[in-house]
Amino acid sequence: MRRAPARTRGAAACLVGVVAFVELAACASIGSPGAGDVDLPTAGAGPFRKLDGNETLGVAPFVLDDRTKAWHDPAVLPMERAGDGPAVFLYAAGTLAGKEAIVRTSALDGRSFFGSGVGTTPAVVLQADAAGEKIRAPSVVRIGSAIFLYWADGAGIRVATSDDGLSFAKRPGYALAASPATAWEKAAPGAPSVVLYPDGRIRMLYAAGGWLGEAESADGLAFTRLADAPVFGPSVAVDPATLAPGQKPPFDDARVDDPCMIPRITPAGRLHIRVLYTGTDAAGVTSIGLAARYGDTGPLARQAQPVYAIGKKERGPALFEWSGGALLYVSQDRAPTPDAHYDAIAAAFSPANLRLPPATSYADAP
Amino acid sequence: MNRNVVLGAFFASYACTLHASANPLDAFGLGSRAAGMGSAVAADTSGFDANYYNPAGLARARGLEISIGYFRASQYLKTNGHDNDVDPVKGLVGGLVAPGTLLGVPFAFGLAIHLPDDRISRVRALRQEVPRWEMYDNRNQRLFLAANLAVSPVKWLQLGGGFSFMSSTEGKLDIGGFLNIFRAEDSQLRHQVDADLTAVRYPQLGARVELSEAVALAVVYRGEFKLKLDLSAYLHGDISHLTTAIYALDTHSVNNFLPQQLVVAGSWKLSDDLHTNLDVTWVNWGAYVPPVASLNVGLDIPPPAGGWPNGITPPTAPAPAKIEALKMNDRVVPHVGVEWRALARPTWEGFARAGYEYAKSPIGAQTGVTNYIDRDRHSMSLGLGLRALAPIAELPGDVRLDAHAQLSELVTATTRKADPADLVGDFTAGGHIWNVGATLTVGFP
Repeated sequence: MRRAPARTRGAAACLVGVVAFVELAACASIGSPGAGDVDLPTAGAGPFRKLDGNETLGVAPFVLDDRTKAWHDPAVLPMERAGDGPAVFLYAAGTLAGKEAIVRTSALDGRSFFGSGVGTTPAVVLQADAAGEKIRAPSVVRIGSAIFLYWADGAGIRVATSDDGLSFAKRPGYALAASPATAWEKAAPGAPSVVLYPDGRIRMLYAAGGWLGEAESADGLAFTRLADAPVFGPSVAVDPATLAPGQKPPFDDARVDDPCMIPRITPAGRLHIRVLYTGTDAAGVTSIGLAARYGDTGPLARQAQPVYAIGKKERGPALFEWSGGALLYVSQDRAPTPDAHYDAIAAAFSPANLRLPPATSYADAP
Repeated sequence: MNRNVVLGAFFASYACTLHASANPLDAFGLGSRAAGMGSAVAADTSGFDANYYNPAGLARARGLEISIGYFRASQYLKTNGHDNDVDPVKGLVGGLVAPGTLLGVPFAFGLAIHLPDDRISRVRALRQEVPRWEMYDNRNQRLFLAANLAVSPVKWLQLGGGFSFMSSTEGKLDIGGFLNIFRAEDSQLRHQVDADLTAVRYPQLGARVELSEAVALAVVYRGEFKLKLDLSAYLHGDISHLTTAIYALDTHSVNNFLPQQLVVAGSWKLSDDLHTNLDVTWVNWGAYVPPVASLNVGLDIPPPAGGWPNGITPPTAPAPAKIEALKMNDRVVPHVGVEWRALARPTWEGFARAGYEYAKSPIGAQTGVTNYIDRDRHSMSLGLGLRALAPIAELPGDVRLDAHAQLSELVTATTRKADPADLVGDFTAGGHIWNVGATLTVGFP
């Protein structure tokens, strides 16, 4: 048989080599799902999605649920020993033995709170002396070595202090009392949110008559209003006839309440004051909104869309941030049967495109 | 084949093109020789990479060439110090050049392909406020396929052109049946999907002029390309025997866009062993169409007789989202490259290469609601090449093995949001990309 020309044999050898190379490369190349959406930048204030059944041990999205005590108005205090993990103390208001009270519980994963399991109850840290005394809307902050607990009693904002976050001593008088001289306050100040600025200053946001005001303190015990004007109010009402098809009116054109102030320093080095709040529309429907500003004083700007709105009477936001995301706690309507409604604490998570690992077990202490 | 047929085929292929295309080669090059020289080869190419850099270069080939290689661009892109896990761009590259003569006129046919490992193409239609690395996340996850013809009517002139292929997506989803809102497991839904991948083509044209034995100039044009994504969904059915719902959705977006480009290039032979190249690319980013879907939704759920059951609130159709304009600026991107034949032996040669490219980000400051993240990019590359001359009797031509490593540094900078209530807020962004690869070429005399 005649031998093929060298050029032909060379081309054949080359083709065999190329095919072998491609086959080997293909074996090592398995397609994978796309990524590119991990740790994307966020202001840490929503939008939030409610937790689902795999992310809570109880009935999602509720994380503190007791029909007889009707927990509401959550406030959070990060655990110091937890570092950057999701361990958190949760304070909430409720009713025990016919008297209003504030309790504390904890969760190592931010969701499985002591007191949600059978046979356990959060620890009472403050209780009314008599039936009819109001103890509501707690706010808790660590200042130095002490923990300050603020609450509203209907006539103003009071404060108690503690060394361990469990045993609080009520301070006499008001941290911020009603002020007839402040024209815009049509009601006594309530719903306090007290924070420590990065530079150590102590600031409070409070609600009064559907608007928000701001005050400052040197010691955390007595606050002074920063201005005669509110820092935030309801949206301007819109005539429904002027709305485009599908366009919704503002979610907070009736009133704004329950501020939850969270300061931070942005990656650009700016002081960023974020405020979650309860917005109520003209029909009485509530949603959680976001307002914010750069700098330490001045009015807040509004995010036009609510950050959490599920139509379940959500209100009284509290925010807990850690490196893995942000958990929003709210009071929310719990309706195990169509005729039974009570308040319970629900949770939502941001970034909304991520999922939390499954909840494991309840914390073993409050 | 006569000359008229060749020219006719060339102009026919150009005439039937629709748009021009997005591909990963703009960012990472085609073939290790070019990548090692900072992609500055439009006036100095004759291999399969000419299918992308300058089709006219195909006419310089002296024999059949087959090339195959692989590259991987690992992207370490961060925002606020956190790696965003942007997918690498990786896959096979390859192609061939088949030269010949026609009535004494040199001509050549070329093919080139980049075949990604993970996916032929990827579609993403994110809301405009969702942060994304606009130039590196989705745009480069796709196939590149090009075919070109080139002629050299006179010794000092080469002309070439051709087209590349991509596909647009059109899809329809139809769902109908019975939906039990009280017992979801009793629902009975049927669905039907109808999807088309329709071919789009885009042109590329090139010319190369040899001013002397030492100097050559080139000009290349690449056209504009829009990869469209059109999806529609229709949901209709009975809801728990209470009412009948109809939900219709139409979405249209440009999932990928490549602006037209014009390259002016030069190659200078400084000595027998050293030459340097300069390419300057004008990129018409100002015509960019952001990949945001326009959405039309129709929802009709008439209330049942007696009204909705307690606790059931029917959904309402969302208002159409207002799409914010994306301000992008045309850019001039310089590429420089140098190649040194460091070793010249009777049976083999060794080459060292280096290159640099500066791509200023075309995307305007993202101070509003959109978050198309991008940063200025400096790319430095090195390359090595080994050429064996007639290594064995069966290969009387040559065998070339080229390798490259390219480091792209995306300068970290901070974006400051104008609205303090922005849900993304201020952020820093930056990072780097490592692009490494190798290409094997076999040439026949």
